[in-house]
Amino acid sequence: MAQNLGMKKEVIPSLIRSIEDNEVVGFDDNVMKHCVLDVELMDSGENKIEPEISNDSLHHHRTPSISISMPSSPMEGQNPKRVAFNVELVGKNEPEPEPEPPTVSTTKFHSQPMPTGVGFEEAVAVGKFPKPLVRNPRIDNLKDERFTSFKTWSGKLERQLSTLRGKPPSEPPVSTPRENVPVDRYFDALEGPELDILRPSEEIILPEDKKWPFLLRYPISSFGICLGVSSQAIMWKNLALTESTHFLHVSPNVNLVLWCISVVLFAVVAAAYLLKIILYFEAVRREYYHPIRVNFFFAPWIALLFLAIGVPAKVTTELPHFLWYVLMTPIFILELKIYGQWMSGGQRRLSKVANPSNHLSVVGNFVGALLGASMGLKEGPIFFFAVGMAHYTVLFVTLYQRLPTNETLPKELHPVIFLFVAAPSVASMAWARINDSFDYGSRIAYFIAMFLYFSLAVRVNFFRGFKFSLAWWAYTFPMTGAAIATIRYTSEVSNIVTKLLSVGLTTIATLTVFGLLVTTILHAFVMRDLFPNDIAIAISDRKPKTVRKWFHRRAGSSEKDIEHYLKYVTSNEKDVVEASVTDKDVESQTPLP
Amino acid sequence: MTTIVQQPPPTPTPTPPQITLTVPSTSIHSNDHTGTLIIIKTLIIPIITRCHAGYFRITLSLCCQTLLWKTLKDPPENAHAYRRILGLFPSTAFLLLWSLSLLILTTLSILYILRCALFSNMVKTEYLNHIGVNYLFAPWISWLLLLQTAPFLTPKTVYYLLLWWLFVVPIFVLDVKIYGQWFTKGKRILSRVANPASQLSVVGNFVGARAAAQMGWKESAMVLFTLGMVHYMVVFVTLYQRLSGNTCLPTVLRPVMFLFIAAPSMASLAWDEISGTFDFSSKMLFYLSMFLFLCLVTRPNLFKSSMKKFNVVWWAYSYPLTVLALAATEYAQDTKSSFAHLLMLLLSALSVMVSIVLMVYTALNTNTLLPPDDACDPTNATLDPINVSSINLDSSLESSS
Repeated sequence: MAQNLGMKKEVIPSLIRSIEDNEVVGFDDNVMKHCVLDVELMDSGENKIEPEISNDSLHHHRTPSISISMPSSPMEGQNPKRVAFNVELVGKNEPEPEPEPPTVSTTKFHSQPMPTGVGFEEAVAVGKFPKPLVRNPRIDNLKDERFTSFKTWSGKLERQLSTLRGKPPSEPPVSTPRENVPVDRYFDALEGPELDILRPSEEIILPEDKKWPFLLRYPISSFGICLGVSSQAIMWKNLALTESTHFLHVSPNVNLVLWCISVVLFAVVAAAYLLKIILYFEAVRREYYHPIRVNFFFAPWIALLFLAIGVPAKVTTELPHFLWYVLMTPIFILELKIYGQWMSGGQRRLSKVANPSNHLSVVGNFVGALLGASMGLKEGPIFFFAVGMAHYTVLFVTLYQRLPTNETLPKELHPVIFLFVAAPSVASMAWARINDSFDYGSRIAYFIAMFLYFSLAVRVNFFRGFKFSLAWWAYTFPMTGAAIATIRYTSEVSNIVTKLLSVGLTTIATLTVFGLLVTTILHAFVMRDLFPNDIAIAISDRKPKTVRKWFHRRAGSSEKDIEHYLKYVTSNEKDVVEASVTDKDVESQTPLP
Repeated sequence: MTTIVQQPPPTPTPTPPQITLTVPSTSIHSNDHTGTLIIIKTLIIPIITRCHAGYFRITLSLCCQTLLWKTLKDPPENAHAYRRILGLFPSTAFLLLWSLSLLILTTLSILYILRCALFSNMVKTEYLNHIGVNYLFAPWISWLLLLQTAPFLTPKTVYYLLLWWLFVVPIFVLDVKIYGQWFTKGKRILSRVANPASQLSVVGNFVGARAAAQMGWKESAMVLFTLGMVHYMVVFVTLYQRLSGNTCLPTVLRPVMFLFIAAPSMASLAWDEISGTFDFSSKMLFYLSMFLFLCLVTRPNLFKSSMKKFNVVWWAYSYPLTVLALAATEYAQDTKSSFAHLLMLLLSALSVMVSIVLMVYTALNTNTLLPPDDACDPTNATLDPINVSSINLDSSLESSS
């Protein structure tokens, strides 16, 4: 078994790429240099890979091992809380008979606590390692233990499987209580206007060069497509119904078609995301803690509201009141959580996390007010309008200030900035509906929206050089919203200028959506990168400080040095404990059968 | 606090043993004439030194409760059934409460005047502290509220007017001083000193505006309302941004965050009085206040650490709830729906319950009400009031003898 392990190891990308253990004395150098490092599994059980360390022939293969482990050390074997990343061993191609000091195994870099998958033992037991490299990549993905940590039932399923297969059950790997990734980690690890680009000094806990399972790559910002399309449906409905635009002779069927497409699209997107919640809850959690993605959690409900607003007359004309309450409840609960965080919650204060995507959390209030007012409700819409107004003021001021403490603002123009236009245009429509006339309050909001729209439109030359992402669909609905508000304004103040304006804005909105549709199709079918690996959710819980310092320090240090170094470099106490016991651990391990 | 100790005579002459009253770090030798005076002094002086403006929270709550009871016990003619039920409130209870509020407010005011006279340096320290300065508004707000609830003074009389002027002028003066500091004076930058207690100054403006509108003085009411509204917007945005992080309010003072609820409710009431009806603006302010209330109430962990030991800060829970209940009353009166009246009943019941619980708790814990090391007074974080008082007492005694 041990020999097998030594013999055949697949070369798979390591998790910790930058750790070059060839710098440790006793390793091979040249061969190792090109090789990615093994990733050693730190299990909660006694039977780990480490036992082989005593075996000389394996030392070589052990050396490039890095143990990635949670602070609570399983090395002592007592703490079952240890979770480590379930990774297949990466190995060198050929075993080289280099005697390694047993302590080479101490080059466990307890740098990053990782949630573990479990069942590595059974992977070992089942003898996966000797399998040939060629595999069906899709089945690979399904069984790939690297993603197990993100699976919802990571531990239980594998344990059940292993007991079914009759293997001795390992110590119950009690999964570490998943700590909330603090918001600072997101700011440290990511950059870019959508906070989805990994900084060069950071690592992620999922393999970078392999395509992750589809659900893991499926971001919540996909609901932006529903927002974009359903707002188009509303626009075409308004174009058909408003008298001042009758000269365009728009048929209500356009609205019907678009609406049906939106419904289907929403069903598909929602089903996929529901699957993600069920199967990969950890990923959903991390998206929730992401300072930008959290705003997209409002998107499904806003999309549903749009669907209700844009419902064609052929489907229904009267919507029941309870539907409004049902749709607004999730928005209300989310708001309580998020606005409360702005006011009082720890590190997520607005001066730090404010970004244009926060408009999505505010716009929901106005959309709900619009729907409620068009249904005939009175008090509820005013409630949400008031709450939205107060928080919109705060957000607007904060974003305009572009505070130095703010880390998430795009430094240059980015389509996300179009979200500025969304809130005032929808607010003006909502107020007009509540008051049954497009009075001064609505006009003020409308003119603000128009000003923001034009000040962005004249800079459209600068919207260049950004990587396309699905979230861009969410940025089209402000343009559509501005068009709808203009149509409403035209019905009040009907002259040639306003009519031209409404036609112009409608055209721009339609063209944008169309262009975006083409781009999406291109990315989906031609370039096949519509869903790239979602780096933002895979950032590690800690800074990889050890890695950096380790890098520079390495130059023929002995094992004592390594241990000693590890004691002081890792910031975590528990890591230190681990590091200090590595020595004893090595000897105490029993070789695998 | 004081101990009567039988001490051997300190002087070599064979004088009979003296009874000395000792305050730590100082001892007082008494003559028969001034014995009682000194006993009084040694009892009252420590109270005065510890009685900072934050204690006016108690009076704020009591006066607000009185206002609520007054509003509830006189339902208007076409009131909803629920509201008429509340009209069965015995008016003697209201009179009792009013007298209690008057008594406590007068006592506290006199104590505070004495404090200003005798220990003006401590008052100055309070003024310079960014949290304490807001509580300088509290006495005037309490008096204004009590004025509005006076059973024998109607808003149209001259006395009401005079008293209104008496209480509003200090508020206005404080406004000019404090708001002006925000944007002119070097160190008192709002982004650094803003804290939830800053909303108390805003509430003061709204209370004055409401009282003015009740008198019929619409223009003055508008002046005060505008002043309050503008600064409320600035403070609201700044507080939400939390530019200085969490450092501006110590955890013991977390109940002060309930002021987030008080400000929009008071604004809603003031606008209701000014415009005559509970229109859109008042409704929106009321809804905002409701939302903030729900936000805070669903976060009990915020307040856990401040609830460990009884503290006068606990009174900060009561008056925002009362103001919210008052606003709910006006709201229900306007909307006339059962849901609104239920809401009013709920909020009123909550505020009454909280006030009663606080009163009972305070009565049971009077010894800890004025703790020597008053943790809830931010200005006294390091200052030991007893030492200061004893030094002053020493010097005053020496000068008198």
